[in-house]
Amino acid sequence: MSKGDRILDVRNIHMRFESKGVCVRAVTDVSFPVLEGETIGIVGESGCGKTTLGRCIVRAYEPSEGSVMYTTADGETLDFLKIDRQTMKKYRKEIQMIFQDPYSSLDPRMTVLDIIKEPIRANYPKMPKQEIEKKVMDIAARVGLNTTYLKRYPHAFSGGQRQRIGIARALVLNPRVIVCDEAVSALDVSIQAQVINLLHDLQQEFGLTYLFISHDLSVVEYISDKVGVMYLGKMVEYAPTRTLFSHPMHPYTESLLSAVPVADPTVKIERIPLEGEIPNPANPPSGCFFHTRCRFCREKCKQETPEYIEMEKDHFVACHFARELDLRGFDYGEEPDEENKTGN
Amino acid sequence: MSGAKDDVILRMKDLKINIRVDEGVLTVVRGVDLEIHKGETVGLVGESGCGKSLTSKAILGINDKKCRAEGQILFDAEGTGMTDLLSLKPRGREIRAIRGKQISMIFQEPMVAFSPMYTIGNQINEATLLHITKDKKKAKEISLDVMKKVGIANAEKRYDQYPHEFSGGMLQRALIAMALVCNPKLLIADEPTTALDVTIQAQILELMKTLQKDFGMSILFITHDLGIVARMCDTVAVMYLGRIVECASAVEIYGNPMHPYTRGLLGSVHKIGTKGQKRLFSIEGTVPLALNLPKGCGFYERCSKRIDGVCNVQDPQLTDLGDGHRVACFACAGCPGKEEPVHE
Repeated sequence: MSKGDRILDVRNIHMRFESKGVCVRAVTDVSFPVLEGETIGIVGESGCGKTTLGRCIVRAYEPSEGSVMYTTADGETLDFLKIDRQTMKKYRKEIQMIFQDPYSSLDPRMTVLDIIKEPIRANYPKMPKQEIEKKVMDIAARVGLNTTYLKRYPHAFSGGQRQRIGIARALVLNPRVIVCDEAVSALDVSIQAQVINLLHDLQQEFGLTYLFISHDLSVVEYISDKVGVMYLGKMVEYAPTRTLFSHPMHPYTESLLSAVPVADPTVKIERIPLEGEIPNPANPPSGCFFHTRCRFCREKCKQETPEYIEMEKDHFVACHFARELDLRGFDYGEEPDEENKTGN
Repeated sequence: MSGAKDDVILRMKDLKINIRVDEGVLTVVRGVDLEIHKGETVGLVGESGCGKSLTSKAILGINDKKCRAEGQILFDAEGTGMTDLLSLKPRGREIRAIRGKQISMIFQEPMVAFSPMYTIGNQINEATLLHITKDKKKAKEISLDVMKKVGIANAEKRYDQYPHEFSGGMLQRALIAMALVCNPKLLIADEPTTALDVTIQAQILELMKTLQKDFGMSILFITHDLGIVARMCDTVAVMYLGRIVECASAVEIYGNPMHPYTRGLLGSVHKIGTKGQKRLFSIEGTVPLALNLPKGCGFYERCSKRIDGVCNVQDPQLTDLGDGHRVACFACAGCPGKEEPVHE
């Protein structure tokens, strides 16, 4: 299997939570393919189901419906959500997760060394001590942790350092896919840049595939090859990053983009305010979920649910009038030079 | 931003804040000079731990008892003219007449800022009853009026609801209503939109801008988000390790940043529309602990332009480069250290 092949195929994921007779549809019918070596950004406001989706994919939740077709390194394809415990054990280590909060995702009573060791111990109980130690040291050095401090506890580390610990823990089993759930949101901007650069370098080095879940559109635009926009549990738009940011086809994406604060006071963006708030997912609106806040809402939107279809090549949209609307995105200006494009 | 002396409503002079801890004395704010003019929005930017929140809380005298503030905070109070807020007793009558009436504050987490035990109306009334009228009926009228102004639909019904019945965005509106009910001269906004989603954030920022015009107040806007600063502020003060390292108009700061820290901070934020052009700039290292600080510039350890023998020996002072752009750095053109480098 090589770069560019399909590594994950997320198909019609549904996740419903039920309690006291109320059914909350956290994720409704989300499908998208993931190619090896790619970064897929998932954006949306809080409560839109992006974290739930990420957790469904790593099978931290058991989705109500749907499948995640995973192509193993040998080229075998299996449904990650259906495989039994024994097979699961074999493949779980290939799909890892980095969590949002570097403070609560590390056990305060374990040393950093033990935290990074734990996944190896669980998956390779027979591995000799020295080998484990060496593996941990290598990975810790790679993510930029000072290896002399590994015997310390998490509280002795700063937020950025802790996030590096989380990254080391996810990487130590040589995964192929990493789900980053708001991996840099809790960090200060200068530290955020360090961690983003690190994630980028690691991807180049190990050929990782990222699923990058975030509410921060600038970070997502920077890091992702393709972006999916979620609203109220549904994927409303999915396209290559540049296409999505320059030519959004869903009115929600347009509003979302216009709301991003740009760090330049001379840039004047005409904002397209979204009226009201996200409806209750336990009682979503009829027809198109977005119709209550959409400025283009027509009668059809209130009655019929729009299908999620490929409007243009690689550009999926769920909107009845996507073709008719002329929506605004960011102006990219001229195409960047090929040389600069690859970065340094 | 005329700079005329008479329209200054708040002037901090050499503000220092110390905190006594077991290990010694933390000097968290190390001499801040800042002026706020009438009708102006000043952005105080910096990463977590730089002392921006403590500085703002010192204005109202609501810091923890362990914090000791030195220096002067002059405020153009109604009736008494320029008053040093630090000389007032923190629980005295004078400061209480200012706090909440002439200077009010909105906090980061609207969910925490309200008491869950009282209705929203009740809590907004508190300030009105204390400062404006003793008549409960009249107070309710005033509160309802402000609630409508900040865009809370159905104000009469909302008035009798409890905080848990509000969404995050609505609660932030209610908090703004509470802050504005006495028509303050100065509003301190401490990360008012950090906990909110981008689209809600855009709503709240627009609202604050409109209200500022209507009420003619000044805003001290504290945030770490450079995008928000670019959108909201006239003047920007960049803080690092308890000091203002650069202060200028927003257009200057973004167009012509001087201090290496400001440059680093701006470089580490990705601007949408420049995808794939360059790697994010990251400032190496982390913010040092403000305990037993070494002599010299606080940014020395992380600075790419440091001059050995100068920056680690002397402490740079904020110097006006002309046209009101002030910067504290020996390595910047126009600053004292650059012109006459000190030789060993």
